[in-house]
Amino acid sequence: MSNTIIEIKGLTKNFDDQQVLRGIDLNIHENEFLTLLGPSGCGKTTILRIIAGFEEPSQGSVLFNGDDLTKIPSYKREVNTVFQKYSLFPFLNVYDNIAFGLNLKKVDKDVIHEKVMKMLKLVGLSGFEKRDVTLLSGGQQQRVAIARALVNEPKVLLLDEPLGALDAKLRKEMQTELKKIQQEVGITFIFVTHDQEEALSMSDTVVVLNDGVIQQIGTPIDIYNEPENRFVANFIGESNIIEGTMLDDCLVKFDDVEFVCVDKGFKKNEEIEVVLRPEDIKIVDKKDGQLTGKVVSEVFKGVHYEYLVETDKRQYKVHTTEYYKLGIEVGMRLDPDDIHVMYTMEY
Amino acid sequence: MKHFKKLVNPYIVWSLFLIVVPLFLIVLYSITKGTSTLVNISFTAEHFRKIFEPVYLNVFFKSLKLGLATTVICLFLGYPMAYIISKAREEVQGILILLVTIPMWINTLLRTYAWISLLSDNGLVNSFLSLLGINPVNMMYTDFSVIIGLICDLMPFMVIPIHTSLAKMDHSLVEAAADLGANRVQTFTKVILKLSLPGIINGITMVFLLSISTFVIPKLLGGAQYTLIGNLIEQQFISIGDWNFGSAISLILALVIIALMRFMNKIDPEEKGGE
Amino acid sequence: MKKKNSIGAKLYIALCFIFFYLPIVVTMVFSFNSSKSLTHYTGFSFRWYEKLLHDNSVMSAVYVSLSIAIISTIISTVLGTITAIGLSRSRKLIKEWILNVNNFPIMNPDIVTAIGLMIFFSSLKIEKGYVAMLLSHIAFCTPYVITSVYPKVRRMDHNLANAAMDLGATPFQALTKVVIPMLKPGIFAGMLLAFTMSLDDFVVSYFVTGNGVENISIVVYNMSKRINPTINALSTILIVVVTLVLVFVNVIPAIVRKTHKSTGMAYQTKAGTLRRRVVLTGGVLLVLFIAGFSFNMSGAGKKVLKVYNAGEYIDKTLLDDFEKEYNCKVIYETFDSNESMYTKLQSGEKYDVLVPSDYMIERLIKEKYLQPIDWSLITNKDNVIEHLWNNEYDPKGKYTVPYFWGGVGIVYDKTVVDEKDLEEGWDILLNEKYKGNVYMYDSERDSFMIALKSLGYSMNTKSKKEYNEAYEWLIKQRDTMDPVYVGDDVMDNMISGNKAMAVVYSGDGAYVIDENENLDFFLPNQGTNEWCDCMVITKDCKETTLANQFINYMIEEDVSEINEEYVGYDSSVKSTYEKFRDDYYLGNNACAPDLNNPLNETFRYQDTELKQYCANLWTKVKSHQK
Repeated sequence: MSNTIIEIKGLTKNFDDQQVLRGIDLNIHENEFLTLLGPSGCGKTTILRIIAGFEEPSQGSVLFNGDDLTKIPSYKREVNTVFQKYSLFPFLNVYDNIAFGLNLKKVDKDVIHEKVMKMLKLVGLSGFEKRDVTLLSGGQQQRVAIARALVNEPKVLLLDEPLGALDAKLRKEMQTELKKIQQEVGITFIFVTHDQEEALSMSDTVVVLNDGVIQQIGTPIDIYNEPENRFVANFIGESNIIEGTMLDDCLVKFDDVEFVCVDKGFKKNEEIEVVLRPEDIKIVDKKDGQLTGKVVSEVFKGVHYEYLVETDKRQYKVHTTEYYKLGIEVGMRLDPDDIHVMYTMEY
Repeated sequence: MKHFKKLVNPYIVWSLFLIVVPLFLIVLYSITKGTSTLVNISFTAEHFRKIFEPVYLNVFFKSLKLGLATTVICLFLGYPMAYIISKAREEVQGILILLVTIPMWINTLLRTYAWISLLSDNGLVNSFLSLLGINPVNMMYTDFSVIIGLICDLMPFMVIPIHTSLAKMDHSLVEAAADLGANRVQTFTKVILKLSLPGIINGITMVFLLSISTFVIPKLLGGAQYTLIGNLIEQQFISIGDWNFGSAISLILALVIIALMRFMNKIDPEEKGGE
Repeated sequence: MKKKNSIGAKLYIALCFIFFYLPIVVTMVFSFNSSKSLTHYTGFSFRWYEKLLHDNSVMSAVYVSLSIAIISTIISTVLGTITAIGLSRSRKLIKEWILNVNNFPIMNPDIVTAIGLMIFFSSLKIEKGYVAMLLSHIAFCTPYVITSVYPKVRRMDHNLANAAMDLGATPFQALTKVVIPMLKPGIFAGMLLAFTMSLDDFVVSYFVTGNGVENISIVVYNMSKRINPTINALSTILIVVVTLVLVFVNVIPAIVRKTHKSTGMAYQTKAGTLRRRVVLTGGVLLVLFIAGFSFNMSGAGKKVLKVYNAGEYIDKTLLDDFEKEYNCKVIYETFDSNESMYTKLQSGEKYDVLVPSDYMIERLIKEKYLQPIDWSLITNKDNVIEHLWNNEYDPKGKYTVPYFWGGVGIVYDKTVVDEKDLEEGWDILLNEKYKGNVYMYDSERDSFMIALKSLGYSMNTKSKKEYNEAYEWLIKQRDTMDPVYVGDDVMDNMISGNKAMAVVYSGDGAYVIDENENLDFFLPNQGTNEWCDCMVITKDCKETTLANQFINYMIEEDVSEINEEYVGYDSSVKSTYEKFRDDYYLGNNACAPDLNNPLNETFRYQDTELKQYCANLWTKVKSHQK
């Protein structure tokens, strides 16, 4: 991952008295598939809109290849956007929607034709050029929206929850498709979503946002396995989050039991939080368990069962493919690398 | 779209001069005397006091009554019309609505004159009646002629909004009601009528507003004894030349109507959704 | 799933449409009538169309109506559309302010909007006329455009404009290429509404017009004095044109859409047609402007004389002749009563020559609105009947030259009214034999005159007690006789024989008797209003020589003859007066009536307080309910 293409420094944004972004610092690289992930209202779309030029930052700067982007009006920026509800022009057909940008640039008609046809092929809509866009299916509209943006050969493509309106199966297809297109055209994609699974499966880099603050930046694997705080841990996948104390490097204590872990660099006896992924907790015989408890709930989830195991302190959520009867006493074990220690959150 | 924010600026200036200032002048005239010269201008409440004399209150009352009658008749004649049109095939609907609109394009005064030749004592209607052996009926210069003229002029304002909301209506709701066991009358009162309420309110407001303030139609079809608020205002400005009193009447009329609109908007379900 | 409409429903719709179109059909049918009547069809002819083409005032009204409608529609559509678009992005405060302010012209009755604008223009000393009318039309049309476009803006996906800019459109391109096409239905609806409103407007135009600028509505309104099928011819043409335009507008796009869908080159062709359409509209506008310019400027460089006269009170061909003879331009405007003329003057309107009645002249002299006649230029002074110079309203004979004169009497249907009853004089109006069969004249002063004369008082009494008695008289009449108070439509009604009798001015009486031989006229023996309308010159008049020349021209013998033939009133010129009395109108009692009754009077000036008092009483009479 080479050069930085967009550099965001100290970005804040206020709407009336509400602060939506509270100092965002972010570097986006060429050819990167970067996802802004967070719950609704976290400010992810606002960042996108500032990059696109639909909003102006209250403070801070956005540099594009080293130039201040905020001074350039949106129509001169080398970025294009795929909107949440596609925002296709309903009075134009598929061909004219895609050709819109090129027509504005007064590109030669033959060149336009060639480029549009190429794009239609890329998104798999060859032969659809004369269709009325309002009569297309959601997935087809989605493809037209992508083609309409990409035909302008932007350096960065912004995608604002583009898969939000599609059904589950189509979503999966489009995820793969989008990734494929990104690799084919070889430009930066900035993708906004609130769906963690989508973020993890497509991205090179995931940026987790909450309440206008970046919570964590990292690869999908880092984000999932090493959440830096309770919010990330909670937001990405399911977790058991437990307050504990760091007794020493690689030694943590929670629920009155000491565990060996792999985390280092904490102060002695620092109050921390521990993340335990439900699938990392192993159910064993009661006598072998580091923790013991009773199975109080059992739900079949398709691939696995989800159990709630109640100890004297709390309930643990556990995923396993084994079947345990409701009400029996079990033990639970944790391997050192399954215990993720995080700093407690300030709020 | 932030770029388009400035587009309202011309209208702010425009509306200030051509809407707000004239209204302000009416208010000024209504609370002063000697306004036109500006030399002996002094504030007074006498114009408003004068409105509450029985003569003028009567005129107000009569205008309200006429407006109400016209509105109710327009509603009862217009709703079925809009309803029937909305059930026609789409192309036919377009043509029928066009037919409803065309008369609106033809000068009101001209259409009113035509009613004079139709309704007068020796007019076409009476000639027709006498062919049937019926004695001539006195129709001109009565409530009847005025209301006929008003309905003919204002009914499109009732039919079009009601049709719009009926045409917009989701037909599956009617089916749903029938499915849930509503009979035709129930379906109509519980579903169709409710869904077309915005159109009804819109129509009622338009017709009432236009009928309460009209002065040409009553003057031509009702004769001069048919004094309504509109005529009163016209008299004050055009023939009596008491602009102050005329302004005061106008102001009261405007206030009555605005209060009424506010009330109508409150019961309009579409307005509540708002922004 | 929709159920078909039943026969009953279809019948109902048909009845509704018959009701809507009945007046229109009547209008159209009678435009081809060979006679003047609007109630009896006598045969097919094109004479009213021919007359229409030669009627300058109607043709210029058509021009005014259309050009104002087109220009105000274009301006208000543009203004309203951009405002609606901007509005959706504005701060809440501005949004609410505009939406509220915008509601005023829509919710306010026309008449309130009209008087607001009228006061506004006169306070700012903006000359009333074409520009004022145009501004007013834009003012009341724009809100309708905003209310039709704004909901569409609100419902529109705001990202569409962003999408366009994102794809490289400048804000202006985003506006024209995306936002406006998206809003097209709303804009079109608003445009149509604005055009309709402007074309159909009477009230606002009526209050803000001046300088002889009249649109169709105003011409029609002023024509009410003598309705003739010319106006039906005009409306027939309008109906046909409007219908064609509407059909064209509604049908053509559907056809175009179909063909475009099949060729699929929508974008290019659309851009092409748009450009073509813009060019076309521009061309039409340019032609209109040039036409209007030449129309307004046809008198450029010439002296201009502004004449303000009662409606249908001159043969307009005389104006053309005068313009030619004196190489000048006459701007001619009409009023419907002395009082409305006075109000216009009061509102700051400027005229050169006026033709008011006696008592109004007295008032104008008292309030210093007039300047003296230059008698050296009135070479035809001796043509005027001598006794008309002796009057009370202009005792020194400084300001006035008589124009027409006569009395107020009763025109009656000889087949209905018993000759003997005429001896009752004005009291015949209380004779219950004729209940529901009487037209009164909608004039405060004349109605009180009748009551006062009937009671044996002077019509110029200053006694409120006598006025109160007269008021009681009028109330009694309303209660027992069901009279109808009419304006100038009385003439048409009497010609059609709708009622047995009507109070009329003698000249109007002469006209209706001429049209309906069953009618006759008499002057009640208790005395009546012996009136005289005169030409006067205002203080504001700069072209005094021309104004005096005009007045002198109007009392030339042959000119006054042409004029009387058209107007039907008794001329102030002796030779003309006698000629009509002894020749054309021989046997017509309303022409040159015998005005030797010593009880006759001429109206005098009333002071403001008494005037207000009477006005109040009159309002009471008219709004009286049993």
